Amino acid sequence: MKYSFATISLLLGLSFLLAIGVFSAYKLDALSAERESLKEDYSLSNSVSLGLFSIDAWQDRISVVIRSQLHDFHITPAQKKDLQATVEKEMHGLVRKTVNEINRPQKSLGGKLKKLAFNALVDSAELQAQVRPFARTIVAKVASPKSERRLKRIAGSKVTQLTSQIYDSVRVANDTVTKYMYQKYKVSNPVAFNKRINGQLALIDTQQIIYVAGLIGSILAALTLWFALRKQVQLQTVLFVFALLFALLLLVTGSVIPVIEVDARIRSLELQLLGEKIIFQNQVLFYQSKSIAGIVGTLLSQPKPDTIVVGILILLFILVLPLLRLIAKGIYVLSPKKIAENVVVRYLTFELHKWDMADVMVVGMLMTYIGLNGILKSQLSALNIQDKTLQVMTDNGTSLQPGFYIFAGYVVFAAILSQILKRVSSNDQLH
Amino acid sequence: MPATTSRLSPFTAKLLLIAGLLVLLAAESFFGYRLHELSARQEMIKADHAEVNSIAYGLLSVDQWQDEIAGVVTRQVKHFKLTKLQKKELQTEIEEVLYALIAKAEAMVEKKPKSLAGKIRKLAVKTFVNTDKIKAGVPAMARDIIAKADNPEQKAKLSDLAMSKFSDLQQAKPIDSALRANHQLFDKMYRKYQVGSTPALNSKLDHLLTAIRAEMYRYCFLILGCIVIVLALWWFLRKQVKLHTTLFILSLLFAFILLGVGLSASMIEVDCRISTLDFTLLGEHVLFKDQVLFYESKSILGVVEVLIKQPAIDSIGVGILILSFSILFPVLKLSSTGVHLLGRKSIAEHRIVKYFAFQSGKWSMADVIVIAILMTYIGLNGLLNSQLALLNIRSQDLTLISTNNTALQPGYIIFISFVLYGLILSTILKYITPNDAH
Repeated sequence: MKYSFATISLLLGLSFLLAIGVFSAYKLDALSAERESLKEDYSLSNSVSLGLFSIDAWQDRISVVIRSQLHDFHITPAQKKDLQATVEKEMHGLVRKTVNEINRPQKSLGGKLKKLAFNALVDSAELQAQVRPFARTIVAKVASPKSERRLKRIAGSKVTQLTSQIYDSVRVANDTVTKYMYQKYKVSNPVAFNKRINGQLALIDTQQIIYVAGLIGSILAALTLWFALRKQVQLQTVLFVFALLFALLLLVTGSVIPVIEVDARIRSLELQLLGEKIIFQNQVLFYQSKSIAGIVGTLLSQPKPDTIVVGILILLFILVLPLLRLIAKGIYVLSPKKIAENVVVRYLTFELHKWDMADVMVVGMLMTYIGLNGILKSQLSALNIQDKTLQVMTDNGTSLQPGFYIFAGYVVFAAILSQILKRVSSNDQLH
Repeated sequence: MPATTSRLSPFTAKLLLIAGLLVLLAAESFFGYRLHELSARQEMIKADHAEVNSIAYGLLSVDQWQDEIAGVVTRQVKHFKLTKLQKKELQTEIEEVLYALIAKAEAMVEKKPKSLAGKIRKLAVKTFVNTDKIKAGVPAMARDIIAKADNPEQKAKLSDLAMSKFSDLQQAKPIDSALRANHQLFDKMYRKYQVGSTPALNSKLDHLLTAIRAEMYRYCFLILGCIVIVLALWWFLRKQVKLHTTLFILSLLFAFILLGVGLSASMIEVDCRISTLDFTLLGEHVLFKDQVLFYESKSILGVVEVLIKQPAIDSIGVGILILSFSILFPVLKLSSTGVHLLGRKSIAEHRIVKYFAFQSGKWSMADVIVIAILMTYIGLNGLLNSQLALLNIRSQDLTLISTNNTALQPGYIIFISFVLYGLILSTILKYITPNDAH
């Protein structure tokens, strides 16, 4: 092969494009990893197990409500009236009981004298009439600001006593998680923490789009170049090899970057209690994000043999075979006729597509995404409650991630390459 | 074997082959039927298991809370205690009320009485009653009042009262009838499995399920054994070109049975439960374990059913897609291979027949992939647990919804075997077909 000026400049140009592609892919991988770790941290610290499912969290919120109720508590005129009536009733009863007691037939002389004196001095009806002023005195005393404060103090300390008897072990766990997160993200309160994470996620999302564009753009540029040079027969081999490298890049990137992210959360739960709201926000029910390599890795790392078998099959048909086929294509194009016509190479290059299931994987992932999304959506919307006392809103953040599109891009690209190779090789056979 | 068969006349050889394979086919059908039966039985037992351990009869049942509430009431009322500080405050409160009352009484007496009796009364009171002495006695009186309210007998009385109110509430009609229904259900379950208590029932169900699972895997491997024998036969008879067509058609029958079993046997087992709920409620330790939210086996047709029942149109679409990949494609594929081998050249080389015979096989793998991905997302969800472990938090301290026991089932293995077997058959077909395969 002669290295003319055209070939060298083409090589340089394509290498430059490939470098852009590799760089974008590398950045994408780093960004995805960062995004995943951010979301994992977020979903851990906002986990429903540390919030809505924790008795401690409920206790905190409810005792705030009770305390503020207690703080704002004043004896109203109506309550005063009720109290007055109750006290009066009690006192009337007391007077009646006392009078009856004294008026019982007495045996002892002292008792008889007492009875006489009492009846002479005390008129029971008059006594009953005096109940009202006394009751008023009691109620006025109890309702006085000073006394009210005192009673509130007693009730408050009783509430503390009771709530201290309602707990689970989440507080310790929550403290550990919170401390760890605050240290890691250098924040000091939950609002700042959520804000920082959301800010970083938004930043990563825009950067991801840029790098996906960089990756796709470099490939499109290479394809355009190829199309422009399709008549230049002597450059075809170089172009094809670079196309294979691009395909390899897509395959590798597509399999290590997350493909599907499942994120189900209760956005807010508001419960009306004693006229006040108990609010839980951003309760993460479920979060998972996985790449194809991650899926295979998870399947392989299980103790159950059937899961491992499935993992091996997917690894073989979806990652290893496509890779082998790309390599075989490279050997077929680059090497001298003898090796290229070798049975194994020919078989790998042309016959093995039946076992190469990258395309099936794309359809499978899409189906899983739509199915999972549909099931989650209906399950979560069943949780949505709009009631006078209870309002629940859920969020279903299930989405396809860049890895899916890149892997799908690989499949399309590989199909185009196979077509081109078939044409080229049948032309060869004609010659 | 090639040596012996070559000595036989072609006709006897074919007859022998057909007879042998038919016996094997009968065996495979029997195993498949058993697997199907076991799968149905397993589904029923799981439904019972899920029912008995359901959250409705645990965490959400009045029955379970009865004891806890009784404990709470007893503790809170019987052991109601005022702290020193509270007692002091209460003492002041009562004292003040008493002082106010005495002051009021004094004022009333001081008022100028009009009647003679009034005057005498005032005199008597003035003579006999020393208000200062009464006032001095107020703190002691207040203490007495508090002690009376605080005495154990009084508290026992109060707690009895509360308990009787509580049991009244229990005998209220709706709760009572709900409880009765629960007991009836449990009695029925006990009778059905011949046990006497819920723990015994659970261990019996677990035992049954383990036994069934072992048996299912045994039949599963027996079926796979039949398939391996068929493939081995292809290897031994690879030179006997005359027998190939017969062997292929019989192989297709094996594939159909494999497909049927793979579709109907359960494929994935989804197990979603609250593993522990552990807290202290007003001094009572409340512990709920293994509250089942969802526990079911699903065959691939079951998964399709779930998807098609969703309201969203795209889920229904996916359901239909899975259905076509699992039934339509395989059936068309198997028939096409038959047609390609036996049919007239014009039909055999028709593009659609050739596509289904040689290219369509791998699309059934899409179902396998869907289940595998679902499995990794739902079942093998160790993310939260591993994060917690990283921070040294014991996960049993938290209330987690766990789906970790979600597992693959024999039907899945059978279905994968079917897909692979189908792919191998179409590769074999490529070598033995008299027609053009490309």
